[in-house]
Amino acid sequence: MNINATLLGQTIAFVIFVAICWKYVWPPIISIMEEREKRIADGLEAAKKADDSLEEAQLEFDQKMNKAKEEAAEILNKANTRASQIVANASIKAEAEAEKILSAASKTIENDANKAKEELKLKMSELIIDTSEKILEEEIDPDKHQNLLKKAASEL
Amino acid sequence: MVSDAHTPITSEEYIQHHLTNWVCGKTESHGWTCDPHHANEMGFWAFHIDSLGWSVFLGAVFILLFRWGIPKLSTEAPSGMQNFVEMCIEFVNDNVQSVFVSAKNNLIGPMALTVLIWVFLMNLMDLVPVDYLPELAKGAGIEYFKVVPTADPNITLGMALAVFILIIFYSIKIKGLKGFVAELTLHPFGKYFIPVNFILEGVNLIAKPISLGLRLFGNLYAGEMIFILIALMLTFSSISIGLLGVGLHVIWALFHVLILGLQAFIFMVLTIVYLAMAHETEDH
Repeated sequence: MNINATLLGQTIAFVIFVAICWKYVWPPIISIMEEREKRIADGLEAAKKADDSLEEAQLEFDQKMNKAKEEAAEILNKANTRASQIVANASIKAEAEAEKILSAASKTIENDANKAKEELKLKMSELIIDTSEKILEEEIDPDKHQNLLKKAASEL
Repeated sequence: MVSDAHTPITSEEYIQHHLTNWVCGKTESHGWTCDPHHANEMGFWAFHIDSLGWSVFLGAVFILLFRWGIPKLSTEAPSGMQNFVEMCIEFVNDNVQSVFVSAKNNLIGPMALTVLIWVFLMNLMDLVPVDYLPELAKGAGIEYFKVVPTADPNITLGMALAVFILIIFYSIKIKGLKGFVAELTLHPFGKYFIPVNFILEGVNLIAKPISLGLRLFGNLYAGEMIFILIALMLTFSSISIGLLGVGLHVIWALFHVLILGLQAFIFMVLTIVYLAMAHETEDH
């Protein structure tokens, strides 16, 4: 248990081992740990960036989607108004046509009726003349009595 | 001196035997010799072969384990040994960085790691039952063989001396010779009490390595002594005392594991703190 040169030997051993540790043991491990730390930090940063860009993309997508929806709604609206316009136009046209057809028909009917009336008058006047002839037993000369006949027809 | 294993030995001789180093040194009468009979004649120039041998061997184990014990260094998937080494380095680094806040010195980390692992390994030799290795050595013809290097004051004070040299080296390097001398002489009472200041600060400075070395030595020496006393119970020819001794050995070994780690840790922390103080430039 004496203090002797062992002490100096241990001091030298200490210096040597610390030096070996300083040169050969510590640096490789520390550099690997630092490299790993850096990698993890980089990875985290990349993940954050990816997250951000995803969010951005999502936002852009939403914007475009909304715009598309708006456009679609607009187109639909236009189509609707156009359609209703066409329908309205068509119905107006149809009404006019119908009216025209109706008025033409009524005119024809009127004409026919007048014609029939005229005919009827003529037939009536002939009948009356015939009857009157029979009654008078003498033929009325249609040429002689043209005026008379016409007068009678107009009075019918 | 007891050299014949067949003669019964007394308790005192047994203890004395376990506390004696294998020593080689220079004697007046025989020159350089390793004969234990001349141990008393050796002066300062003597070496404890066992302490130094185990110390160097365990230091080499530390270096081999930490440098070449890792098959392949990997950044992504460290294997078992690399995990362990990284854990140790991170632990040491945390301790260093918590003390070295402003000053930077890339020697402190490796030194703290060496101190922690090396001292721990040397302490760990305390758990080898006290008779195993000395009996083996006796078989090889070595009469005295102390196994625990840190139970030898030469070893602990040797390391403390190295730390002390570093303290002085960095004190002068950081503060300059003038600053270091000023620190020793102008505190705590100002420039009119330089002798008083110098005595106080000098004691303060010298106390660092001495307390550092003796604390480790004291703890390990006491632990070793208790192991020896417990082992002594097995030399009595009584089964009940022998069994009690085995039980006590187990219990003390369990407690001692804590002390071994703790003392290694304390030695490391104090080394870091003392060197951090050497790096401090502001006045207290």
